[in-house]
Amino acid sequence: MTEPRFQETPPWIAALQVVSVAAIWVFVIGISIWIIHLMRLSQTLHDVPSASVGISIVAIPVFLTGASVLTYVFVGLRRGATPSTAEGRGEGRGAEQE
Amino acid sequence: MARWGMAIDLDRCTGCGNCMAACHQENNLAAVGPEQTEQSRAFHWIRLVREVSGSDAHATVRYTPTLCVQCDDPPCVKVCPVHATYLSEEGIVGQIYARCIGCRYCMAACPYNAKVFNWYEPEWPGELKKKSNPDVSLRSHGVVEKCTFCHHRVNHAREQARAEDREIRDGEVVPACAESCPAQAIVFGDLDDPESMVSARARSPRAYRPHEDLGTRPKVFYLEEQE
Amino acid sequence: MSAEHTVRPELGPTVSHDLSERDIDVLLASVEQPGSAFRVVTTVLVLIILGAWVLFSRQILYGLGVTGLNQPVGWGFYIVNFVFFIGISHAGTLISAILRLSNAEWRRPITRMAEVITVVVLAIGAFHPVLDLGRPERMLNIFTAGRLQSPLLWDVSSISAYFMASTVYLYMPLIPDIALLRDRGARPRWLYSFMAWNWQNTPRQREVLERASNIMMILVIPIAVSVHTVISYIFAMTLQPGWHSTIFGPYFVVGAIFSGIAALMVVMIVLRKVFHLERFLKEIHFAHLSKLLLVMSLLWFYFTFSEFLTAFFGNEPAEIRVFFYKFTGPYAIPFWGMVVCNFLIPVVLLSFRRTRTIPGIMVASIAIVIGMWLERLNIVVPSLANPRLALPSGFYIPSLVEWGMFVGGLATFALGFVVFARFFPLISVWELREGQETAVSETAERVASYLPDRLENAPTGETT
Repeated sequence: MTEPRFQETPPWIAALQVVSVAAIWVFVIGISIWIIHLMRLSQTLHDVPSASVGISIVAIPVFLTGASVLTYVFVGLRRGATPSTAEGRGEGRGAEQE
Repeated sequence: MARWGMAIDLDRCTGCGNCMAACHQENNLAAVGPEQTEQSRAFHWIRLVREVSGSDAHATVRYTPTLCVQCDDPPCVKVCPVHATYLSEEGIVGQIYARCIGCRYCMAACPYNAKVFNWYEPEWPGELKKKSNPDVSLRSHGVVEKCTFCHHRVNHAREQARAEDREIRDGEVVPACAESCPAQAIVFGDLDDPESMVSARARSPRAYRPHEDLGTRPKVFYLEEQE
Repeated sequence: MSAEHTVRPELGPTVSHDLSERDIDVLLASVEQPGSAFRVVTTVLVLIILGAWVLFSRQILYGLGVTGLNQPVGWGFYIVNFVFFIGISHAGTLISAILRLSNAEWRRPITRMAEVITVVVLAIGAFHPVLDLGRPERMLNIFTAGRLQSPLLWDVSSISAYFMASTVYLYMPLIPDIALLRDRGARPRWLYSFMAWNWQNTPRQREVLERASNIMMILVIPIAVSVHTVISYIFAMTLQPGWHSTIFGPYFVVGAIFSGIAALMVVMIVLRKVFHLERFLKEIHFAHLSKLLLVMSLLWFYFTFSEFLTAFFGNEPAEIRVFFYKFTGPYAIPFWGMVVCNFLIPVVLLSFRRTRTIPGIMVASIAIVIGMWLERLNIVVPSLANPRLALPSGFYIPSLVEWGMFVGGLATFALGFVVFARFFPLISVWELREGQETAVSETAERVASYLPDRLENAPTGETT
């Protein structure tokens, strides 16, 4: 087996990672807005609101929690990568190759 | 505002099937053909449900014209995911064909099996297409449809009444099924008007509504047969 | 990875008895040496799926008429399979979350596969209602004009939440393994580099990942329960005989976990054979899971019994028609087949140590998967076929298109696994390694903490 080695993440992949986190948030916020839209719609249409709104409203914090946890993992893993990267985060990665 | 309802006198009904034929013509129902009918895809907004009771020697056959009972608390409306079926202000359960996604949840939820589905693109063979009623929209494949209480006739009567600056008179709106009934078993009118014929019949001791126990509050009344 | 420890000792804990290089080679073989078998299997599966779509194109062209659906049986295979596949998805995450939460040490080689099942099957299941639509192109109406009062909308939000949570829950414990593959130079490199998210196994990173996993594993349990409850509500919220039942929620959840564990066992046994994982997935793992399966089988029977006894004893005309349609009528074979597959076969096979072997478990699990599919069929069709009105009973004969999509769905399930195995290890390497490093001492410590305190350590005063 070849010697296992750690390679620094190339900048374009780092950028892709940032984009993916942003995409997760766009997705989650989109879903939340959608559910809120539907709740307002059910108000205007005088639907049977109580139970259905109650069931659906739970989904919003679930999505937000999911996205928060992912973001926490992503940010946490980056910060915790090596002692040297702990200070410099985000864009300055290219300069920190060992 | 009117609350449209119907009363069907089973004592008068002869089971002739005129109502079914008239409904087909009036509402541009597709002709699905014998093959589809064989597959249990017969296409009616009103149909005669046949019940046989008694012994073989003394069998009694009873026909019940069955149509959408236009519930005041319709189970189909509650389950529609896209607001394609709704309860109108005048109490008619409508179907928006252009919005229906064809999930058939309303059909599954309807205790009266009042809805039908366009399994294929509907066809009107031969002359039928030319004879279609311009007041009723044609449906396409993949949507659910149902009895509208001849909603277009209600609209027509309302416009007429408005033009003449008066209320709609009792008996002015006659759905195709009621119109075609030779025994005048079907009466249509405003249930909120105590003077109307339909209210009078609904108050009859013979009157019942199908599956009242379900709490759907139907607006189609049946008058039970007498001995 | 042990080599890495020697190179950068600050990154990992000191290792006493690591997994051997050969072990890791075996675990990563599916990724590093996929071989021609991978290509052959993928091709076959893709061809099957394409075939299913060719059949399905008739439905796109001509409408739902090409299925065997009719009035009153307006729902058939598509909805049955929707419920069935989503049910299977409960194996996964729920089992893995419960096992993690309860510190069951034997979970380590199992969790990954369970999580993969969930994600793959959930995607397949969630797609089925779309197949069932008369006008799928109008699906967007659900987003613009959706009505929250419809149980279908509850499904949309619940299933999407579950999909999100279970994907995250699959991905997070995968990160250290992805990093391992990245460090071993697996291709495509950019993929592993992208997905590993700079994982270097530092203490801080481990802490972050553990904390996040703990949150997700607690979050995923109520979501999973909600998913199948809400699916049961599709039926239970209507007034139809046989559907309008208050126990449908828990009944569906129990059935879902039941079928899920069975599907997990089938997958485990097959993959164990294919990838030579006998040393990792040992008999003891199957023995533990099969006891769980046995309990679920009994629980399933209890729910079924309660459900049908209530219908029978109440003797309501509409309910009793559905009841006899299943017991002695046209659905007698699916119904009794279900009882045999879900109860008789598994209980007999799994109760005795002599039959609780891998082949025995395989037979029982396959029986359960079939039985649970039959159960979904027995729930969906007979109620629709027996309307309240005095109409003759409906019938339903699925068409070739529906069978095709069923086979296509199963093939997609297999393909999902094959593709996953091609890119990621099927058994969590780092969790096994962690188990070997710490589990024995941790478990000993934990067990010691259960024991009564020694007299001299007792917090309160002397006892007589």
